[in-house]
Amino acid sequence: MSFDDAPVGAPKRYFDKHFKKEAAKLHPGEYFATDKDMVLVTVLGSCVAACLRDVRTGIGGMNHFMLPKTEKDPLSPVSMSARYGTFAMEILINQLIKMGARRENMEAKVFGGGNVLKGFTMNNIGESNASFVLDYLANEKIPVRAEDMLGVHPRKIYFFPATGKVFVKKIMQLHNATIVERESEYNLKLRDAPIGGDVELFK
Amino acid sequence: MKTILTVDDSPSIRQMLAFVLSSNGYKVIEASDGEEGLALAKAHQVDLVLTDQNMPRIDGLGLIRALRALPGYRSIPIMMLTTESSQALKQQGREAGATGWMVKPFDPEKLLEMLRRVLGE
Repeated sequence: MSFDDAPVGAPKRYFDKHFKKEAAKLHPGEYFATDKDMVLVTVLGSCVAACLRDVRTGIGGMNHFMLPKTEKDPLSPVSMSARYGTFAMEILINQLIKMGARRENMEAKVFGGGNVLKGFTMNNIGESNASFVLDYLANEKIPVRAEDMLGVHPRKIYFFPATGKVFVKKIMQLHNATIVERESEYNLKLRDAPIGGDVELFK
Repeated sequence: MKTILTVDDSPSIRQMLAFVLSSNGYKVIEASDGEEGLALAKAHQVDLVLTDQNMPRIDGLGLIRALRALPGYRSIPIMMLTTESSQALKQQGREAGATGWMVKPFDPEKLLEMLRRVLGE
């Protein structure tokens, strides 16, 4: 996928009446960073979301992604999965840094990676997503303060960057297939697109 | 063997670059921000610099400007490898003296092809 058509979109903004706060709802492939007292909301099936926050300034953000794992993707430190996952994390971290956060003050809370996508013949995709995000954060020396991952249920996450608080609601019964459909569409899009940004030579 | 200095605040990116470059015959030295990159570049004359933009202390553009002021770095290739893709920032890169601009996520083949090209290999 080239950067220009990366599914980083602009999450839908609204006013959350329950929490009485401005809210942003993230779909698969999106990320959002803020220095405001907001709530960031997402629903995760096998995707993962990293909620990152600078503990000193309260600048924080969330992403929502999965690895484009295919049978063709070789096991390599620079596999398509590793490069896309690293990109999904880095673009959020960079946005936080640009807003004034510092890498050394960041902490993470991570969620998702449920085994909810039926019909995928490859290895448990949720598990791959979960282990990627934990390995990445360990490598980047960003401490993980809380996690709720794996299992078979989708989750709804509410993250409050200003305080670091997170509410997780497990969805025990799916009333429609929206979560699974959105993740499947996202997964297909990732698998079909080459993972590589534009190159420009100036001279 | 040509030496490439990689400058990125993300250990994950530095490790990926080191893997790709060293398995293709380059010697790699690494720095975690522009300030460290500048110090390493002064201590070791390298053949190419591959730098990120968003980093603490000295960012990529700052590093390029500082390197271009050094006699040993006036004409060696300096490539930007960043998540940033805005035309305005690319223009600043061009003015600072960058040789080229690659947007992350990087494709290892495209990266190698470009490096060989700017190194005249």
